[in-house]
Amino acid sequence: MREPTFLILTALAGQTRHGYGILQEIAALSAGRVTLLPGTLYTALDRLAAQGLVARDREEVADGRLRRYYRLTSAGLTVLDAETARLRELATVAETKLRALRPHTA
Amino acid sequence: MSDPRLAARYRRFLIGYPRDYRREMADEIVAVFLDAAPPGRARPTAREAANLLLHGLRCRLGRPAGRMVVVWAALTAILCGLFTAAAATRLAWETARPLPTAAQATPLFADLLPGHDLTGKVEGSPAMFVVYGAPLGTEHIRDLLFGDGGEYGFGSTGVALQGLSEADTARTLATAQARLDAGGWQATSPRVTRSDADTTETTLAARRGDDVLTFDLLSQPRYRNMYFSVSLNRATPWAAYPAGVAGLLVGALAGWLAFGWASRRTEGRAPALRALTTTLYGVATALWTIPSGLGVVGMAEHHLTEQHFVWHPLWEWLGQPALSLLFVAGVALTLLAAAVAALPRRPEALTADDELAV
Repeated sequence: MREPTFLILTALAGQTRHGYGILQEIAALSAGRVTLLPGTLYTALDRLAAQGLVARDREEVADGRLRRYYRLTSAGLTVLDAETARLRELATVAETKLRALRPHTA
Repeated sequence: MSDPRLAARYRRFLIGYPRDYRREMADEIVAVFLDAAPPGRARPTAREAANLLLHGLRCRLGRPAGRMVVVWAALTAILCGLFTAAAATRLAWETARPLPTAAQATPLFADLLPGHDLTGKVEGSPAMFVVYGAPLGTEHIRDLLFGDGGEYGFGSTGVALQGLSEADTARTLATAQARLDAGGWQATSPRVTRSDADTTETTLAARRGDDVLTFDLLSQPRYRNMYFSVSLNRATPWAAYPAGVAGLLVGALAGWLAFGWASRRTEGRAPALRALTTTLYGVATALWTIPSGLGVVGMAEHHLTEQHFVWHPLWEWLGQPALSLLFVAGVALTLLAAAVAALPRRPEALTADDELAV
């Protein structure tokens, strides 16, 4: 799974968000390192919806602008959970090796 | 509040998305751009515009979770672009100055080949491109399709000398080279190739303006056979280059859009229909790719082994019209696949796709 996809799923974990809300959350989660443009976001959302990982939740109009909210499906939650575990295992392995390299600073 | 014209400008760049998708999603996507736009922004940035156009083109392909669809669309775009570019360069060749008639070219050949009687030996060409010495006509369709497509090529105005001795041939070539230098021609050095133990072929090319001369000497001393010919062609007209680039871009875009239409049209359809269209189109792309591959390899080899002041035209690099039967068969299969894709959907299939599009 690529990082933007992981971040989109993470942004939707536990909270429905509209498009701009997802972009803001991704920027916050990555400390500003990852900034997606809306075209990229909606291509990813279409893909994730086709895979059954996210779904449209509701829509509202605020300040004359249409906002559709998206939520994580149960399949999306499972995939995010599995990917998080995989990344954690990788990080753990890397940390172990780094500790062995720098025993005094670990 | 953002500039009201900004929304319209963002909306304009949604043109890459299919119409149904725009109808459903345009307000939402534009709203996200407006939410993200800093105060004072009056028009989309170049990065935003490119982002919308590129993702719109991806969206045209449908099947948002598919990856191979992008590969197929890219292959289609490349093939359509190349074939359209080839057709465009052929049209651009119509801007080339006509070949000189035999009478018009005789003084030039007489100047290059002094001491030889050229009376009745200079032959003109009825057209810039000929097949069996005649302009292309409907009577040649059978020839082009069934094996003789390679006969379609440059016409030329030329002269041939026969019965020269080896010494005469060498002297004639040396004199011609001196005349070319004196006449301001840009000439290559003679290239000698030995095709077998008894045959030596010498070629030399020269260019001045849009005139291109090719000297071809065939020497078979064992059989007392010497053949010396000079032919005049036209250089590629400058219009062929922009026409080729424009044809490439237009054809590639058209191919991408057409493939996208068929891909969306067959998305979520019955497995049998999808298998049929995929098979038909898969065979069609093979029929287009194989001649192109053979053409590129053959032409590259030809250009490396012979001296050219005129590149062989793009259609020859694509194996056309030598292998036009395969190309036409590919077009027929593609049209058949498109007709199958255009079959009306069943209502329940529409419902399934609507859910998929969310």
